[in-house]
Amino acid sequence: MTGFVSSALFVYTDDTKSLIEPVQNNSLGTRITPVAFEALTQTPQKHLEEVGHVVVAGPLDVIKEIMRLAMEHHFSIGIIPTERQKHLIRLYDLPRNTSAAIELALRQDGPRIDLILCNGQIMLFKAAIGRIPFLDATITTSWFRLVTIALKKFIGFRLYAFKFLTAGQQQINTATSGCLILNHSRASFASRLISNGHSFTDGMVSLVISAPTSIVEYAKLLIQALRSAERYKHLPSSIGYIKSSRIEIGSETPLDVIIDDKHTTHTPVHCETAAGAVRVNVGESLQADNRREKAAKEEIEVSNLPGGKELLRIIKQKRIPFFSYASEERFNDLFPALREDARLNSIYLVLMVLSTMLATVGLYLDSASVIIGAMLLAPLMNPIVSLSMGILRGNIGIFKNSIVKIVLGILIALFSSALISFLFPHSSITEEMLARMNPTLLDLGVAIISGIAAAYSKSFREVIQSLAGVAIAVALVPPLAVAGIGIGRWDFQWFYQAFLLFSTNLVGIIISATFTFRVLGYSAAVRSKRSLVVVFVFLVLISIPLYLSYNRIVTDRIFEQKVQQERFLVNEKYLIIRTASIFRRRDKRIILMDVLAREPLNRADLNTFKKKIQANFDQKLVILINTHYIP
Amino acid sequence: MKKPIPLAVLIFLALWIHGCDRKPVIEPSGKTIKIGLIAPLSGPDELKGQEGLRGMQFGMQMQPYLQNGDRIELVTADDRNDPALAVHVLQELAAKENVAAIITFSSSDPVLAMAKVADENKTPILAAIATHPDITRNNAFISQLCFDDRFQGTTAALFVRDELLVDKAAVFVNSNSVYSRDLASQFEKKFESIGGEITDRIVLAEGDAELHPRIKMVQDHSPELLYLPIKAADVLRVIREAQELQWKPQMMGSDGLLSAIIKQHKKELHLFEGMLAIDFFSHRAGLTPFGKKARDAYKHTPKGKEGAASTTYSTLGVEGYVLLLGALNRCSDPADRECINAKIRSTINFQGIMGNITIRPDGKAERPLYINTIEDGRAEFIVKVY
Repeated sequence: MTGFVSSALFVYTDDTKSLIEPVQNNSLGTRITPVAFEALTQTPQKHLEEVGHVVVAGPLDVIKEIMRLAMEHHFSIGIIPTERQKHLIRLYDLPRNTSAAIELALRQDGPRIDLILCNGQIMLFKAAIGRIPFLDATITTSWFRLVTIALKKFIGFRLYAFKFLTAGQQQINTATSGCLILNHSRASFASRLISNGHSFTDGMVSLVISAPTSIVEYAKLLIQALRSAERYKHLPSSIGYIKSSRIEIGSETPLDVIIDDKHTTHTPVHCETAAGAVRVNVGESLQADNRREKAAKEEIEVSNLPGGKELLRIIKQKRIPFFSYASEERFNDLFPALREDARLNSIYLVLMVLSTMLATVGLYLDSASVIIGAMLLAPLMNPIVSLSMGILRGNIGIFKNSIVKIVLGILIALFSSALISFLFPHSSITEEMLARMNPTLLDLGVAIISGIAAAYSKSFREVIQSLAGVAIAVALVPPLAVAGIGIGRWDFQWFYQAFLLFSTNLVGIIISATFTFRVLGYSAAVRSKRSLVVVFVFLVLISIPLYLSYNRIVTDRIFEQKVQQERFLVNEKYLIIRTASIFRRRDKRIILMDVLAREPLNRADLNTFKKKIQANFDQKLVILINTHYIP
Repeated sequence: MKKPIPLAVLIFLALWIHGCDRKPVIEPSGKTIKIGLIAPLSGPDELKGQEGLRGMQFGMQMQPYLQNGDRIELVTADDRNDPALAVHVLQELAAKENVAAIITFSSSDPVLAMAKVADENKTPILAAIATHPDITRNNAFISQLCFDDRFQGTTAALFVRDELLVDKAAVFVNSNSVYSRDLASQFEKKFESIGGEITDRIVLAEGDAELHPRIKMVQDHSPELLYLPIKAADVLRVIREAQELQWKPQMMGSDGLLSAIIKQHKKELHLFEGMLAIDFFSHRAGLTPFGKKARDAYKHTPKGKEGAASTTYSTLGVEGYVLLLGALNRCSDPADRECINAKIRSTINFQGIMGNITIRPDGKAERPLYINTIEDGRAEFIVKVY
């Protein structure tokens, strides 16, 4: 059963003088003594003597002063908000309607709530230190406004060295752009980050620390804020969280502390909870929430924040980089595996020989399934991915080991396939072989995508099984086997074409895997620019023959399509070109045509036909014709 | 002071590359070489002459000088497509104007008349549109720029038989045109030799009013295709009569028909929908590098800016002029008619607008033929025959 106080002091300001009458004429039987805020602050002892309940209506500063007095004089508080005090209404779940607000304000037995004091000043909503990227914006903010805020706050964004000390004497040294102390609030993006929630009665201060170490991380945080409609299950990668009854915050240089949107103090700042400091008549929903709250424990989630050696580097930077740099801790998971992959061992050599032999036999058999088997068996992808990391980190050890392993693998593969080709010199040329002798820029595209996939799969254990798919997509060993066959046949053009495809795959994977590791944050604190430049130079160099090859293939395909609309009148015999395909062998351009004819073609006809083609297309074209007769 | 060196190298390379690409400038010699044009510049066939002249003038804009600096002057003569007048203007151009060579846009009848006196005048003549096979017979001075009717008629017959799988066809002929008669014969001969049946041969005379019963008779014999090597106006008459009979047969016309339809019968273009026609070019087929260059240059001319499309005749005009210029350039004395004639007849793989042209020693041209169709009021390319 709800009870009401028998008497109360009503504190008003000039703005809220109009409320005196409705408060005094309340129908709840409460006797009201109105007093102006100025009069109260002049002689508080006189007005507050034997007062058990105060109803206040006025600006935030006035309410905070009443709360301070309540801590001294132990009276309970009822608040009548004005229409403009939306944050206050949301904070204490107060009614918007005046008579309902008066009714709530005059109730007795309001719950005891905590007050957060920062350097002795009461904080009702939030306290911001440094630069918080849009986390203090309300969740009702439109995406356009949120992006605008994020962009505006990004100007001059950098991380500073901060030190946090909790009540449990946990000291955290990190780099952060700023932090946000939150009171009980469900309305901001920052409050959604805190999965465990917080309340008025847990005796704790909640602190959200933002540390996006790169532009990518900043953008990621913004995307998460835009996407998430509900609370996060895990803290975003650039956010830390501390919940303690007392937090001391220090920064390398004094920073302003904005409490409830007013600049009031600066770092170092000492924030603590005055547990159950005042009794305030809050709305029904909050009363229910706070009844559920049990004694809270100190919580510290700062694993996402920079620390150790990384910290020193970050605080030296005047602005955050585009990509993050990985900490040694993050890197420790991946690095040993890559170091091992770069090391030469007998298993690698045996697998290299077997996969090449299998690929070579598959190529001779024109069997796609055997060739795919060889792709899966081939161990060449691992040292290539290691090489990418070696280049990125400037790690000479991994770099050298990977190079040795790759080069040896290539030589073994070329030797194995050349040997088979040498032993079986009369085996026919198959479609599978020809398919690997016309590399184009599109193949470079496949290699680049595969390189991204390889680095990505390697970085996340849960998707490492996808490496098999990557190996099939990029197909390293078959072109190498075809190049080896070229050596066995003493055909340099053959070798060149196939080896160009292999080199395309190799360079494509290296460059894209390096880039992917960079994006994923595995780059070193000191970037290995020189090695990256070398890889880019290789990429540019390999792109030239690929571009020429691509152009040549496009020209050939256009010709193949065009030729289907061409007819020849040869010695009064009408020849219809049904299909034509162009391929190259050694330095010859060969056109294979399916021709429809009514009458049999004799040698003279074929010679005339050949002359017509050579006169109108290409003198050096070698012509192969399959003739089909019209019944 | 490190930058000036690479900059200087770049400037040098740019100038060098630019220099490589640039053609040597021709210094005018002050001499003039006359080239003649005999064409129907007035009368019912003036389209052929005027368009041919337009093409030649455009060619002259592109290349006004020979490589030795001699300027080309064009002397035109109107023969109204009349054989007697054609012979007369030929003699005038050869004797009085002393032209080095002649291009003619006259039809087969006037050019056949010229062939009889060609050797007397010893003036090389390049026949742009006269496709009759006998034009190059019994004379050494007339060469064809176009393919001849034997190639055209044979190709038409083989195309409809082997690609359209037509078994029965009817043929229409203009009685007063040797071109029409010969082309129809070539078609019939080949079509029948490969198992096709000619259901009717309709001869159209000038002022022929009784067409309706004859079209009805043709319809009764159920041909799958009408072969129409006749004038555009006569093709239109046939179409209208067929329309009255609620009949829409497949039809095929001969070279120059599409140009005439597009220029002279634009309002009735919808009636020609679906019609096949042989031509020297196709708007939808690919251009040679020379063709692309000519197209780009044409866009900058007043006609090109207006958006005026080129026709078969104007395109042949450009080709004929440039081919002739090549022959003149290959002679040490560009006024030497014997030499010019020999060079014309030894043209091998000359790059035309859409394909290569070879002129054999007997004066016959080997060039691709296009089969087009009218679709949505536009000429669409079907096949190219070499």
